[in-house]
Amino acid sequence: MRLRFSRKMLGIPYAVFLLFFVIIPMLVILFYAFTDKEMHLSFENFIRFFSDPTKLSTIVYSLVIGLITTVVCLVIAYPVAYILARSKMKKKFVILLLFVTPMWINFVLRVNAIRELLNWMGLLGEANYFNTIFGMVYDFLPFMILPLYTTLLKIDESLYEASADLGGNAFTAFTRITLPLSMPGIASGITMVFLPSMTNYVVSDMLGNSKVTIIGKFIYEYFGTNWHMGSMVALVLLIVVLLSTWLTGGLKEENNARGTTL
Amino acid sequence: MKKRISAMLLAAVACLPTISLFTGCAQKGETVLRVYSWEEYIDEGGEDSYDGTADAPDMVSRFEAWYEETYGSPIRVEYSTFGTNEDMYNQLKLGNEYDLLCPSEYMIMKLAAEGYLQPYSEAFFDETNPDNHYIRNVSPYIHAMFESNRINKADPESTETWSDYAAGYMWGVTGFTYNPAYVNEEDLRSLGWDVMTAEAYQNKVTTKDNVRDSYFVALAILYKEEIAALDPTSPDYGKQLAAIMNRTDEETIAAAEEVMQAMDENIFGYETDTGKADIVSGRIWLNFAWSGDAVYAMDLAEAGEDEDGNETDSTLLNFFIPEECANLWFDGWVMPKGANTQAAEAFVNFLSMPENAVRNMYYIGYSGVIAGDEVFDYVCETYAVDPEEYESEEEYVVYDLSYFFGGSDAPQGSYTFYADRDQAERRQLHAHYPPYEVTRRCAVMDYYGEEANENINELWSRIKGETLEPWAIAVICVGVALIVGAVLLVKFGGKIDFFRLPPKKGYTRVKQEDFKKYPNDKQNPV
Repeated sequence: MRLRFSRKMLGIPYAVFLLFFVIIPMLVILFYAFTDKEMHLSFENFIRFFSDPTKLSTIVYSLVIGLITTVVCLVIAYPVAYILARSKMKKKFVILLLFVTPMWINFVLRVNAIRELLNWMGLLGEANYFNTIFGMVYDFLPFMILPLYTTLLKIDESLYEASADLGGNAFTAFTRITLPLSMPGIASGITMVFLPSMTNYVVSDMLGNSKVTIIGKFIYEYFGTNWHMGSMVALVLLIVVLLSTWLTGGLKEENNARGTTL
Repeated sequence: MKKRISAMLLAAVACLPTISLFTGCAQKGETVLRVYSWEEYIDEGGEDSYDGTADAPDMVSRFEAWYEETYGSPIRVEYSTFGTNEDMYNQLKLGNEYDLLCPSEYMIMKLAAEGYLQPYSEAFFDETNPDNHYIRNVSPYIHAMFESNRINKADPESTETWSDYAAGYMWGVTGFTYNPAYVNEEDLRSLGWDVMTAEAYQNKVTTKDNVRDSYFVALAILYKEEIAALDPTSPDYGKQLAAIMNRTDEETIAAAEEVMQAMDENIFGYETDTGKADIVSGRIWLNFAWSGDAVYAMDLAEAGEDEDGNETDSTLLNFFIPEECANLWFDGWVMPKGANTQAAEAFVNFLSMPENAVRNMYYIGYSGVIAGDEVFDYVCETYAVDPEEYESEEEYVVYDLSYFFGGSDAPQGSYTFYADRDQAERRQLHAHYPPYEVTRRCAVMDYYGEEANENINELWSRIKGETLEPWAIAVICVGVALIVGAVLLVKFGGKIDFFRLPPKKGYTRVKQEDFKKYPNDKQNPV
């Protein structure tokens, strides 16, 4: 039989990647989470996780830190993206570039720079939670601006003209046109900021002097000593994130979501 | 078998970068020695090395050349590195094979208790063989310690000592680097480890971001009086001290938790490598440090350089070892089962040649376990001073390192030199080769055993993790549930009649099924 090349075969590399780096690792995590040291099926980790106030508190704290970071990012990014997308400026990509450039500089370097800045402001070691959120917002802002900018850019100018023709003021135009049509951008921005800000413990270690513990750090520490508990924490986090993605996903229409992710 | 499969899967998934793709292509007749050690823990040659020339070979290639010359057959060293003892343990558990490992004391004990280790051969300890550089040169102080401590404390029957399974490499103590511009030495001496909880140093002191070091400090604070009550002249002093500093019973853990909580509230933070920069910049005044790191930090601060070689202001830092008790640690070479013992022992012997020990010490800054006259000469070269250059006798001391270089039966004063008083009492020399009185007050932290380890890790997660009152968790959970509910309502509410407003008078609501009846828009009655 001759092997015929079909378009579907282009997907094979990705399928292999998916299998080895997504599906198998997930199964391994699942396997470790529900086994004990002798590799027997066990719900001990599950029970211990949900009966330990520290672990629950830490995951709740991470949720709150992630939530605040996401909201602050959104509040800062939306006006910027809106102004940039609607302005008639010729060189506006330069301004956009300025917002995105920090992403091209090494992450650890940036966190170190923020650390020096906070030290100079006298905040280092004084306001650990504020510092952590400050660092997270700084680091993840571009991930919020870009998807917002791309969706806002796509909104047809004629919609605003129609709105003005029908007697709508600026506020109505915003609530009836801009906001609903930018929902996909908001949704992808949220997904891209929320998860990393719950797990990026480099920021909390460096800016919160390791006194702020987020759930990512727990996972890291448990993988040094007890893989089973570490997998359980990772699994719980995975479920929290899936849930939040599913919820924000409900805000966007499939056909509008194109081209909003990076 | 199940274990095997999962380990293989993980090895395939998680450890791809560390699996050398070139294993197994050794040339015929070439031996391969797989060494797994700490990062930056061996002379890497070049301009920064002891020889100081750009073409100075690194230790590994020196060994390869020496081995071929001595044994007449070629050898290739596969040298890989790890960042923490736990990383090393995980790699070993995943089934990666090595011939020689360099973990810390407690990890050596854990590996021994779990039966991973292969003992050294008897020939390795034969002092009459001129090629046995380790046994001929190891410091009598270190050797006595290795001979007198049992390696497998989990098994009360076992009489095996550290010496049976491990050869020392580097050792040191823990203490504080501090900035004398802010910290009064007298005050520090009176406080000891209590500086961690002292209000005067609030937000100015750091500890290490790992449970064992912090737990040790907590025990030292907790049992301060008990330790002070011990008789330092008693021959059992060391054993008694070690017994106190290795307590892991429930009561101790509960009491230590309170101390660690108090530390958590008082300290600036936990760190693994930001401490050096922070103390140089004056952000913190005291930094819990391992002696080798302390020497490095003092050198950098004094030279007015930061870690990247940029110029900063020159700062004077001191080192302080609390009087109650400090932690004596060491890293040693051990062979996992199935190792090529001949080549592994040859590697350890090669590193134990005094000239190589000096090269390694010079390069990495820690203190090696090798004594011998060349090493003593190196110490003198670095620290000895000429008393005639001093105006007052107060400014220099006679520094006695006989305990380390000569052993307990060496005559007092056989290894002495004149040293600057500051160096001897509070600076690099004090950290590099602590005086005998200090080492007597040190205890080694053992491997606590599986169960105690688990308890201490849980204690650590309680200290490091966030704490909320149960009602707060409940309130937040209800809040999240409400948000979830609201979003679900927006998402699906339109599809459920219950949530929709009733239709205006005179209208009827078209049901979903009605649409399906008229797939063509033109027939649609709506």
